[in-house]
Amino acid sequence: MIPSYLQSEFKKIISREYFSEKAHPIRKKAYNDLMKKGLPNKKLEDWRFTDLSTLNKSNFRISEIQDGTKKNIDITNYGLESFYTIVIYNGHFLKKLSSIPQGIKLLSNLDYMENNDWNTTQPEKSSFDLLNTAFMDSGVSLIVKKETNIEIPLRILFICSGKEELMISPRIHIDLEASSSLNLVEQHVGNSDKYLFNGSFIINIAENAKLDHVRIQNNSQKTINIGNLHIQQKANSNYSFIQFAFGSKLSRINLYADLIGENANCALNGLTLSNNSQHLDAHIITNHHAPHCTSSQNFKSILKNKSSGVFNGRSIVQNGAEKTDSSQSNKNILLSKEATMNSIPQLEIYTDDVKCSHGSSTGALESDALFYIRSRGIDPISAISLLVGGFASEIFEKIKNSDIRKYVTQYFDRWIKNNSQ
Amino acid sequence: MLDIKNLHAGVDDKEILKGLNLYIKPGEMHAVMGRNGSGKSTLSNIITGKDGYNISKGDIIYENKSIIDLSPEERALAGIFMSFQYPVVMPGVNNTYFLKAALNAKLKNSGKKELDAAEFLKIVKKKLIELDMDTSYLKRSVNEGFSGGEKKRNEILQMITLEPKLVIMDETDSGLDIDALKIIATGINKYRSSGRSFLVITHYQRLLKYIEPDVVHVLIDGKFVRSGGKDLALELEEKGYRWLES
Repeated sequence: MIPSYLQSEFKKIISREYFSEKAHPIRKKAYNDLMKKGLPNKKLEDWRFTDLSTLNKSNFRISEIQDGTKKNIDITNYGLESFYTIVIYNGHFLKKLSSIPQGIKLLSNLDYMENNDWNTTQPEKSSFDLLNTAFMDSGVSLIVKKETNIEIPLRILFICSGKEELMISPRIHIDLEASSSLNLVEQHVGNSDKYLFNGSFIINIAENAKLDHVRIQNNSQKTINIGNLHIQQKANSNYSFIQFAFGSKLSRINLYADLIGENANCALNGLTLSNNSQHLDAHIITNHHAPHCTSSQNFKSILKNKSSGVFNGRSIVQNGAEKTDSSQSNKNILLSKEATMNSIPQLEIYTDDVKCSHGSSTGALESDALFYIRSRGIDPISAISLLVGGFASEIFEKIKNSDIRKYVTQYFDRWIKNNSQ
Repeated sequence: MLDIKNLHAGVDDKEILKGLNLYIKPGEMHAVMGRNGSGKSTLSNIITGKDGYNISKGDIIYENKSIIDLSPEERALAGIFMSFQYPVVMPGVNNTYFLKAALNAKLKNSGKKELDAAEFLKIVKKKLIELDMDTSYLKRSVNEGFSGGEKKRNEILQMITLEPKLVIMDETDSGLDIDALKIIATGINKYRSSGRSFLVITHYQRLLKYIEPDVVHVLIDGKFVRSGGKDLALELEEKGYRWLES
């Protein structure tokens, strides 16, 4: 069972002239699979802490061309002005406001698939993958050419705006060819009243290539943000991911990293801040298929009021992936008694000779530490912000670009100031 | 400076301090000696305002005012400082930043201009030299990865930076080797003045060899059973606590 609006919207999307008919079989297959599978519910192990019933109560529609046209969009409102930027406004790529560095080939998602003779493997890990494939927007795809190193970060800026109940399904393919590198920033902003973002990133990192990916999810607290990330890493490649999840009433990332070449390194990090009744969820899977790879998951959350969170991390070491070095850590601070965190770190190991660790902790700030700080003359609110700032600093230190670090720490400082009472 | 009158206090229904009296004049150094469980830590925690203790009777007067209703930070800003037996480790909280926040809280409270990072660094570097500490202390997280001696020295650094009027040293000598003990004792001695009082809480008399107390109190089961001059500590070392237990 899927909500009726999805059924009517699907009819609408396949009647669109500006989407290639060649995509129809792919869309239809995904849609039929989605019909069979339905949207996830809390009876499913992977969704037991995340209530999606709001999707059934909503009435989303796909974004029309007129939803993507607005005068006077000032992207300087969102900071990070010195970066290259691809602007996606209510699901529409705004070429005039965008800038692309040399050495990157920019295609629409549909052109990308056309170039690959429509043989691109479609992700099917969850219903949201199917939903994305059925409704995928033209989107953008990026190819970083062999041995090209792009120093200045490239940002994909997703702006959601307006009072319409829009459903956006961006599909982003990113291919890093051998020995190339890219700093990618994915930034979600906007003041929508009701909005469903369900984006899928399919990232291929070739031999010796390196991708630094920072995701800043800072939508209004009325939106739903689902991010599906599929990363495949070849030999000697590096992927670093840092998510800052600040916004949305409901957000979830489903991140799957497959290490298929030897000596690949995958470092996944996250910092989540939630208050009011926000529910922010991270499902992170690293899958080691090849030997001598390293991976780490390091996620932290700070929760206030009645907000809730989920960390479900799994590290899988397949048979044959010897000398894997994998670590998992999830630490959470509850700033109020009503806040809840569900932490599920898991290891699945099918080979010997590996080094794996995992750990998790959730609790209030230690009263001994608060007393220690206050005994030095510092007021309780400042004491909380000192401790929480210290807790988060480990994640901030991982940000290599100083503009990004400044942007997120400024946001963090404001948040702490408003949430330390 | 400090006048504790017939103090009865404890945790939940358990009374730990059972009618304790203590009068410390400005400039004096008092030592409190006692075994584990005698109420030494309760005494220091209650003076500094830690949560979780009930005061059922008596009062604590500091500079002619009762402080039992004041918060820990209000007491600190009034000039009370405790060197902790177990200084708290704060991962990710920079030591310099913490110390600067503490000093600025004090300056702000007394209506003075707060220091910026450069001004503060100038001051704290001088203090480090006094304590024979190197500047790497400033870059580290508060007490993280510090040895026992380093933690205690960091407490002394906080003390000489904040310049309190009443210093409580809670088992500062525990877990220290003799060299660290001497450095800390030198720091304390240098810091004694006519306007500053000390309450040194200890298990052993070895710290008292290096810092000479004016008065020594023996705490047994929540009360001072004997008070005397510095020789009392030596006598206690020789005869043990049992000598005073009845």
